[in-house]
Order: sequence, then C-alpha cells, then structure tokens
Amino acid sequence: MSEPAVSIRQVVKRYDGHLAVRELSLTVPKGTVYGLLGPNGAGKTTSIRMLLNIIAPDSGEIRVLGAPHDDPRIVDRVGYLPEERGLYRKMQVRRVLRFLGELKGLSGKEADRRIDSWLERLGLKSGSEDWSTAKVDELSRGMQQKVQFIGSLLHEPELVVLDEPFSGLDPINAQALKDTVVDLRKQGRTVIFSTHIMDNAERMCDSVCIIARGEVVLDGKVSEIRDRESARLVSISFTEAPTTAVEAVFRDTALVARVDDSHQVVEAELAAHASAPALLTRLISAGASIERFELIRPSLHRIFLERVGATDVEAGMSGHG
Amino acid sequence: MDKLMAVIRREYFERVRSRWFVIATLFGPVLFGALMFLPSILTARDQAKGPADVARIVILDASGSALGERVASALSGGVSASGKSAVVRPVTSATLASEEDAATRLVIADSVRGYLVLDSATLAGRTARYAGTNTTAMLDMSTLERAVQRSVQLMRMEAAGLDQATSAQLTAVNVSMVTERLSERGRTEGNAFSGFLFGIGVAMLLYMTIFIYGLNVMRGVLEEKQSRVAEVVVASISPTRLLIGKVVGVGSVGLTQLTIWVALGWVMYALRDKVLSRFDAGGLPFALPDIGLLGGLFILLFFVFGFLFYAGLFAAVGATVNSEQEAQQAQMPVVLLLLVSVMFLQNILMQPDGTLAVLLSMLPFSAPIVMPMRLSMTDVPMVQLIGSLTSVMAGAVAATWLAARIYRVGLLMYGKRPSVRELAKWVSRR
Repeated sequence: MSEPAVSIRQVVKRYDGHLAVRELSLTVPKGTVYGLLGPNGAGKTTSIRMLLNIIAPDSGEIRVLGAPHDDPRIVDRVGYLPEERGLYRKMQVRRVLRFLGELKGLSGKEADRRIDSWLERLGLKSGSEDWSTAKVDELSRGMQQKVQFIGSLLHEPELVVLDEPFSGLDPINAQALKDTVVDLRKQGRTVIFSTHIMDNAERMCDSVCIIARGEVVLDGKVSEIRDRESARLVSISFTEAPTTAVEAVFRDTALVARVDDSHQVVEAELAAHASAPALLTRLISAGASIERFELIRPSLHRIFLERVGATDVEAGMSGHG
Repeated sequence: MDKLMAVIRREYFERVRSRWFVIATLFGPVLFGALMFLPSILTARDQAKGPADVARIVILDASGSALGERVASALSGGVSASGKSAVVRPVTSATLASEEDAATRLVIADSVRGYLVLDSATLAGRTARYAGTNTTAMLDMSTLERAVQRSVQLMRMEAAGLDQATSAQLTAVNVSMVTERLSERGRTEGNAFSGFLFGIGVAMLLYMTIFIYGLNVMRGVLEEKQSRVAEVVVASISPTRLLIGKVVGVGSVGLTQLTIWVALGWVMYALRDKVLSRFDAGGLPFALPDIGLLGGLFILLFFVFGFLFYAGLFAAVGATVNSEQEAQQAQMPVVLLLLVSVMFLQNILMQPDGTLAVLLSMLPFSAPIVMPMRLSMTDVPMVQLIGSLTSVMAGAVAATWLAARIYRVGLLMYGKRPSVRELAKWVSRR
C-alpha cells in the first residue's frame, strides 16, 4: 500500500499552560474522505493548522503526502479552506482568485482559465451576469463562500483540507459543496474535513476520527465503527403501554445497561454479557405486547454522544445539522 | 520567489489603482506649484495695482510740525506720485482724545484702515503709535515704520541745512544682499533662506511619505487579520515572506509617488521663468540648492531604509491589534519615535551642524529624516554620512527581524492585546 495522505504521530501542542492537543495520532489513507469530528475546542482547528504548517507542534511527527509537513514542496499540493473565512474585501473577485492561485504556484494565465470554469460551474458567471469583476464586498455571503471555496481548489490539490466547511452555508450551497467533495473523491483526491455535524460526516466520510479534549476518542472506517457498536442497542415499540412486569425487565441490570424511554419507543442498551434474544424472551414472558423489536446500528451522532459525554456536548455540540 | 512577487504585485497594484493614490499623487505637485509660484504672482499683481492700501489712513499730527504731511507723501509713493494719500489732521494734546475717537469711528465704519499718531516723541526719533485693522500685516507695518523713519530723517537733514533734493538722495538706500554658498562642490546658487526652505521641504516630504506608507503597512496587516484572509495566505507562503512582500510592495508605491512628485516638481522648477513671465511676475525669490547626484542618491537610500525601519515597526503594531481603535493606541510609540525628528526641526534648521543635529542624524529612528535635511543645508562629513546610513540600515534589519517574529504569531492571534511581556514571549518563541 502506498504511503497515507496524512500521518500524525503523537503530536502535542500546548498554549500558555493548557494542552490543546495531547498525543494525537491518526492516519488518513489516500483517496478517501476523512472526517475530523469533535465539539468546539476539541483541538480540531489546532490539529489542522499544525498539519498545514501554519503553527508548529511542540512535539510529535506529521507527514503529509509522503514528506514532512514543513517541506516547502508539498505546500502547493494542498488546498485549505479555514474555518474563519475571509477574502480581501476591496479586491475584484478575479484578482483575489488569481492572487490565491499564484500563491500556489499557478501562472496568471492558467489561473484565469480555471477561474472562469469554476465561476461558471458554481453559478457566479453566466451569459447574463458576471461576478468576476465585482468587488468581494459586493457579493452576498453565500457567494463569498463559493469564491473562497474556489480559491482553495484552484490549483487542483491532491489533499484538500476543509475546516467546518458547512458552517454558515444555506442548504443549496451545502449541497453544492457535498457534490464537489464527492467529485474530488472520484478524481482520487484526499479530502479531510472537520465538522460537528454528524449527519454530514456519516453520509460523506469513508473514515472518521472523533476527538475531544485534544485526544482521539474513536477512529476508523465509518462502517466498521458502526458495526462494532451495533449489537449493543435495541429499539422496541409496544402496542400497549408496558406493564410493571415489563418495566421490571428493563430494570434488570444483568440484562440492560441503560434505557432511554420515550413512551412509544424504548431504546435499551444491552448489558455487557446479555444478548438481544435473551431480552426478547424475557419481555414476552413478562407479557409485553411487542409491535417492533429491532437491533439498531447507532448513528455517529449517538456514538459521539456516548463517547464524548454530555458535558462536552453541552459545551460545544449543535447536534444534528 | 514567484509567490513573493505575487504578494508584492498585489500590494502595489491594489494601491496604485486606488482613487486615493491618484488624487494624492496629482495634488502634491499642485500644492508644490502653488507654493512656488503664487507668492511671486500675487506680489506682481499687488505692485500692478499701485501704491498699497497702507495709505488709506488718518494721520493725527500732534508734533506741531510738517511731519504728518511728509509721512503722507512718503506713503503715497513720494512727492511726484498721484495715488491715494492719507488724510492729515493737525491736532493738539487737548484735542487728541476726541480726534482719536472720531478716527476710531472711521476705522470701524471701514472708511480708513487705521490712524497714526505722531507727536514730539516721534520727532525725537523714539515712538509713533498706530491703531487699525491691519496691525498684524507685517508688510504694512514695516512700510509704515519705514515711512515714518525716513520722514524724520529728512526733516532733520533739512533742519541741518541740506535742501530737500539732496536729503532725499542721501536717504535713498535700499541694500539687498546676494549670498553664495561655498561648499566642496564650489560656489552654488542659493542662500541661507533657500537652503532652509529646501531642508524643510526634504524633511517634510520624507516624514510624510514614511508616515503615510508606514501606516498603510499597518492597515494592510490589520485588514488581513480582520478579514481573516491571513490564514489562507500563510497556508501558502511563510509569514516572514508575506511581511517582506507587503513592506516592499507598499514601499514601492511610496517610491512611485515620491518619484512622480520630485519629477513634476523639477519640471516646474525648470520652467519657472516661463511660467512666471506669463503672469508678468519677476523671478523666484529663491533658488534651490544643488545637492548633486550623490546627495540625491543618499537621500533616496535614507528614504528606503528609513521606510523599512518604520514599516517593520508599524507592521508589528498591526499584527498585535484587532481593530482600528486599538491600532490608534498601539501605534503611539512608533509615531512618537517618528515625531522626534519633527519636534527638533527648528533647532536643526538653526544649527544644522550643532550637537543635537549631529546626534539625531546618527540614531536610526531620526536619521532617515534629519540626515537628508542636514545634507541639503550644509556639508556633512563623509564619516558621519556613512555612519548614519549604517545605523539606519542596521535599524531596518533589526526592525524587520523583530516585526517578523511578532507578525508570525500575532497574525493568527485574536482577542486581547498582548502585554509587553507576552510580546517578548512571541519574539522568543521557536
């Protein structure tokens, strides 16, 4: 197998006394879409900035596209959309984009050609209107986001890093972004994006890494993670309200570790050595009238909540996007 | 290198294309032309209008002699002239008070500009008194004074037995001094006054350009921080190179403007006689000193390195703040440093070779302004010149190094402004 697109080994970053990233290690395979998940303040942006050599790690090793992350030759092969978007407000759209392209080693002429095709593709330039000569601050927020997105892809990078790409996007622009990410993957590029919106991550990512408090909580392929967790959770619907006998079954800690009772539907997490058939048998013998008994694959959102814990979630999570 | 050029190009062209740059660049020479030509043209006009307005006064003559009449005739341009002449009213010490009241009313009604009181003290050659609306006009007052003085002299000479014509001939003295400056390059046109003028001009031009474009660098840094575009940019180019590109780009704009100003100014100066003769005005009352090609080159070098010094400091300030308001405060130390040279401008002009002037021309923060000023006023020893330039260059390198250290940390730092101790930490950070 070829070298991974990104490999981070035991990276530590400390800011004036507090540990922003502690011994972070992760591997992003080439040609995949990789999600970096975690609540605000988990160390996502710090990790991304270290990866891009914007800030230096205190210790640890980072390799990008087969070279140390501070190798000047890889800079032009990486595209970056920072969390805090921003462009030169008084500049014309085309000039900003040309500048960003030139900073990645494109010639002005080549940049111009690509700018035109991107602007057309994202609807900023058509027969009737042309925003390329408008100043950035004459554009709507959504349009500015598109321009910035173009700026990070203009040089056709092998690795694209998007920090919270969906924040502030309306549904239409969010869809355009998703489509583009899918296209990038088809072209064999690697995409890393950070988000706290689990739905997007679940749908788009091949692999994810959940970090909280500067540490990796969980990582791996999305399908594997969900398989690993799946057998432990059961969702049950009743045709009649559960009797006390039925409720007693749920209180049996040898069988059920945790219950989430939302009246019509009860979600139960199985205890360590219990099995789903055993629970089903006990419920029937207790006289429960069961309409539905389902083993569920937990959503990333659910896994995330479990692993990161409610306190961190309250501090920064916004739940389903 | 290509990326550095991209930064320089952006900084340069975005500024040169702005309306502000075009207006300022054209306004400079207009102002320069006005300063150069207007005084001569206006003087020529006034002379064409005939005897000055100073004659429109009342003379209260309490001297008991013909002094009042003589002053009036002197004011109206001599005996033969037929211009407006002052009204002379002989008064006694008893009527003086009421006559003064009457004259005051005339002044207030604006039928005369003022009244002049002549008495025995005037005859004795001591004092005369004038009250009017134009007492702050220095030229008017000196004309009046001269007229009174000459009239008293004439009266005394006639009293001593000389006839009127001889006395007039004897007192007709008006010496104007022509000066030549001697230097290593030999005799040059130009006197103390024009050297003075040129020195101030050079100092102000350098001060303004360094100040304006230094602030420009600071605003540029702040803009990149505020708009958050900095993060995208430093993901492609190192902060140090971004800083260098910015300073060089903005500096080139300043240099472009200076070049246009100096070139247009020089053209105007070269065409001065043609322009002035169109307005029937005489030549310029001053001549610019010839500083030579080498002098010009040195001034250019002082500008370049002086700008680098201040641009670095201003960039560092820009990287530590989050808003215009914060920048206003944080820039004060740098602005004060720049102001030192202007604060001592007068002392340096009076004594361009004095201890203070020499000292200030050696320190890196004042040398970029003071040394060119001295250079255009006096002969600076080569040792001092080289020493000064070395000091400015070293200062520029140090400031750029310091700025780069602060810049690379500050550019992505938002929130509270750092204290001096935190700044020191930024500088020493790996």
